[in-house]
Amino acid sequence: MNSVDASEHYELGATDLPPSLLTIVIDTNPHAWALLEDSLPLSKAIANILVFINAHLACNYANEVAVVASHTQKAAWLYPSHNAPRNRSDHEGDVVMNGATDTTTPETNKYRPFRLVEEQVTRNLKEIMDSTTADDLRGNMSTMLAGALTLALSHTNRRTLAWAEEHGGANTEDAAAEGNGNGSTATNRYSASNEDERLQSRILVVSVSGSIDAAHQYIPVMNSIFACQRLSIPIDVCKLSGDAVFLQQASDATKGVYMALAEPRGLLQYLMMAFLPDQRSRRHLVLPTRVDVDFRAACFCHRRVVDVGFVCSICLSIFCEPPPGSDCMTCGTHLDIGDNAKPALLPRRKKKKKRVNGASGTGTPMSTPTPGP
Amino acid sequence: MADSDEEYVGDVTEDEDDLQVTRGDNPRAKRKQRGGAEWELSRTWETLVEGADGTINSTVEGLLEAGKRKRLLKDTTPLQRGIIRHLILILDLSQSMSEKDLRPTRYLLTLRYAQEFVREFFEQNPISQLGVLGLRDGLALRVSDMSGNPTEHLTAIQALKTQDPKGLPSLQNGLEMARGALFHTPSHGTREVLFIYGSLLSSDPGDIHQTIDTLISDKIRVGIVGLAAQVAICRELCTRTNGGDETAYGVALNEQHFRELMMDVTTPPAAYSQKESSSSLLMMGFPSRTVESNPSLCACHSKPSRGGYLCSRCNSKVCNLPAECPSCGLTLILSTHLARSYHHLFPLINWVEVPWRRASRSSACFACGLSFPSVPLEDHWQMAENNTKGMSVSSRYECTACRNHFCIDCDLFAHEVVHNCPGCQSKSTPTRSDVANPPSGGMDITV
Repeated sequence: MNSVDASEHYELGATDLPPSLLTIVIDTNPHAWALLEDSLPLSKAIANILVFINAHLACNYANEVAVVASHTQKAAWLYPSHNAPRNRSDHEGDVVMNGATDTTTPETNKYRPFRLVEEQVTRNLKEIMDSTTADDLRGNMSTMLAGALTLALSHTNRRTLAWAEEHGGANTEDAAAEGNGNGSTATNRYSASNEDERLQSRILVVSVSGSIDAAHQYIPVMNSIFACQRLSIPIDVCKLSGDAVFLQQASDATKGVYMALAEPRGLLQYLMMAFLPDQRSRRHLVLPTRVDVDFRAACFCHRRVVDVGFVCSICLSIFCEPPPGSDCMTCGTHLDIGDNAKPALLPRRKKKKKRVNGASGTGTPMSTPTPGP
Repeated sequence: MADSDEEYVGDVTEDEDDLQVTRGDNPRAKRKQRGGAEWELSRTWETLVEGADGTINSTVEGLLEAGKRKRLLKDTTPLQRGIIRHLILILDLSQSMSEKDLRPTRYLLTLRYAQEFVREFFEQNPISQLGVLGLRDGLALRVSDMSGNPTEHLTAIQALKTQDPKGLPSLQNGLEMARGALFHTPSHGTREVLFIYGSLLSSDPGDIHQTIDTLISDKIRVGIVGLAAQVAICRELCTRTNGGDETAYGVALNEQHFRELMMDVTTPPAAYSQKESSSSLLMMGFPSRTVESNPSLCACHSKPSRGGYLCSRCNSKVCNLPAECPSCGLTLILSTHLARSYHHLFPLINWVEVPWRRASRSSACFACGLSFPSVPLEDHWQMAENNTKGMSVSSRYECTACRNHFCIDCDLFAHEVVHNCPGCQSKSTPTRSDVANPPSGGMDITV
C-alpha cells in the first residue's frame, strides 16, 4: 500500500539494528560425557561455553542468551530459570536479599549479566546432575533433544513477540496484527521482508550423543526443524562426538553451521571462530558448512537405506519393496501398485477383485469423510 | 497497513473488526463459520463489560485472547488426508477486481495473497503440484503451468502486477481449462480448484451445469473465495463438487478474513472413504547431493551449476528438489519433505482451559516462563468466569497429556508452528508416545 500512495518514506526511521538472541542447547547426557572424560570433561566444556556466552553478551549491550539442558530424562532450562522458587516473591525483577545470595561470596567486580548467567547455569546444572539417579541412566542412552528444541523455540517466540511490542515503531504492521489477535498465522509475523527489523535469534546445539537412540524422537525433532526453517532461525550444530544424521539435516535445512570437532579440547576456539557471528555478519562470511549431507531414507520394513523406494500415498511410509499383500504396514490401507512397479507384480489376482469392488463405489458422489486409523 | 492519512481511524476499525469476529461464533453453531454475513446481526457492544476499575481494559484483553484461541480449536481427529495434491488456483482478473473496497485494490491484494498462498502451499504440501490460471475478457488464460516449483508461480504472479484487470470473467471457461490441466493427474492425488472471485456474474459460453456434472465425475473439488457477495452459482458449484459440503465457499469480510480463507486451503483436505481404492504405492527416488569440481548443465533448466542432485535411477542432474526427473520421470524428493507432512497426519491435541480451581498448580508458563496472574480469592472466581467463551479465565492452558500449563502465545505457537507439545517432549514418560507421535513404524527413518 505504501508504494501506492507514496507514504513509504514515513517509515524510514533511524532504528538501531536489533540485538540477537542466542539459545544454547547443551546435551548433558552423562554417558556421552563420560566417554569424553579424557579430552574434555563436562566441567571444562561448561567453562568454555560460559566464556562464549560472555563474548556473545559483550557484542551488543542488548544481546540476550538462553541455555537449555537436554538431559536423558528431561529437558530443562538452565538460564533463565523460570521456576526459581526464591524469586517468586518479587515481580519487579529485583534480587531478593535473603540468605540465598550469601552462600557464595558475590563477585562484585564482574559485569552483572555475566555473573547472573554464570551463577544460574552452574546452579541449575548442578541441580539436574544431583537429581539424576543411577536408575535413570540404566539403559537410557538418549537425550531429550526434541523437548529442548521445542523449549528453545517457545522462548524465542516469546522474546520475539516481546521485542516487537517494545519496539513497535520498527514494524507497526506486525504489532498491529499481533494486537488484533486475528493477525497472524506465524508466516505473516515472521515474513522475510522484515527480517532485519526483528530480533535476530539463532540456536546452537552442543551435541555429544549419537543418533541411534534418537529415532523415536524423529518426528518431534523434524517438526522443530521445520518450525526453525519457517521462522528463519538457523540451527548451529557443534558436534563433539558421535554423528547425528538429523542434526546435519537440521543445520542444512535452516542454513546453520555444522561442525564436527576433530579436537574437542579446542572447543572454545571453535565456538569463538565459527559460532559467534550473528546472522547479519554471516552474510559477509564464508561459513564452514557441510556439503555432503546424507539425505537418503531408510525403509520402514527392513531398515535398509534406499535410493529408490515406494511410498504409501496415504501415510507416506517408505518401503524398499512393495509390501506383502500390497497393504500398507503402517496404516493398513490397501494400495494399488503404481505404473512404475507393474512389471514386478503382474500375477496378483486378489488386487483385481478389490478393484471391481472399488469401481462400484466410485459412481456415487462422495459423502462424509470418515476418520482414518 | 499504515497509511499516513488514515492512521487514527485505522486503529478504531481494527478493534471493531476484532470484536465482530470474536462475537461471531458465540451465538451460532460453528457450522456456518465460513459463510460470512452473520456478524451483521451481532451486538458487539453488549460484550463489553466494565471491570472493577471502571475501564474496559480487561474485557478487551479477554476478547483478544479469545480471538487468538478461536483459530486454534480445530478438529484434531487424525484423518486420512490427501497429502499429494493437485491444485489449480484461478484468479479473477476481470474489471470488478479494480474495486478498492479491499485495499489497496482487490487486484493487488489478491496477487499479494496469491503469492503468500503459493509459498504456504508448498510449505505445507511439499510433494504437491500447483498451477495458476486467470480469468480476463471472458477467457481463461494460463498464468503458470502445473509444477511443483514455487518460484515459477511466484514470478508468473509477480508479472501480473504490471497488467490491469479488465473485461468479464467466465467461470465455465476457467473450470474447463482447469479440468483439462487436472485430467492427466494420477488418481492417488487430490484434484482441486480454488477460485478467487471478485465478480458477481459469470459470462459463460455454454451451460455451466453440464460442466459441474463433468467435474463431479472427474472428482474435482472446487473451492471459492468470494470478494463481493454470495453468488448462487458459486454456492451450487462448491456444494455439488464437495459432496454437499458448503464450507468450501467463503466470502471475505475484510482483508484479514480474506487471508484466512485462502490459508485454510493450504491444509490438505480429508480423504473421503470412497477414494480409498485409489490410494497407491508410489515409486520415489531419494537422491543425495553432489558437488562437482566443474560446473555442468542441469537437466531441468539447462543452466550450469556445480551443486545438484543426481537422479537415483538415471543419474541426470536436477538442481532443486522436490522435482520429477526430466529424463526418466521418477519423482525425486528428500525424506525430510515427507516428514514435513507428518504433522497433518498426527496432529497435536487441543489444550484445555484451566479454571481457577486448578490454577494454583503453576505460577508461570512451562515453556516460555511468562508469569500467570495469581489466583484470586474464591469469591471472585464466579465474577471472572462469565467473561468470554473460548478463553481460559486463569490465562492458563493445559495439555491433557503432560498436565503442564502454558500461556496463550505458547499455545498458539505450539499448535500452529512447531506442532510439538513442549511439556510432553521434555519429559521421558510413557504417555509421550501416544500424543504427537505416530504408530511404531513411522519413526525409524533416521536409522
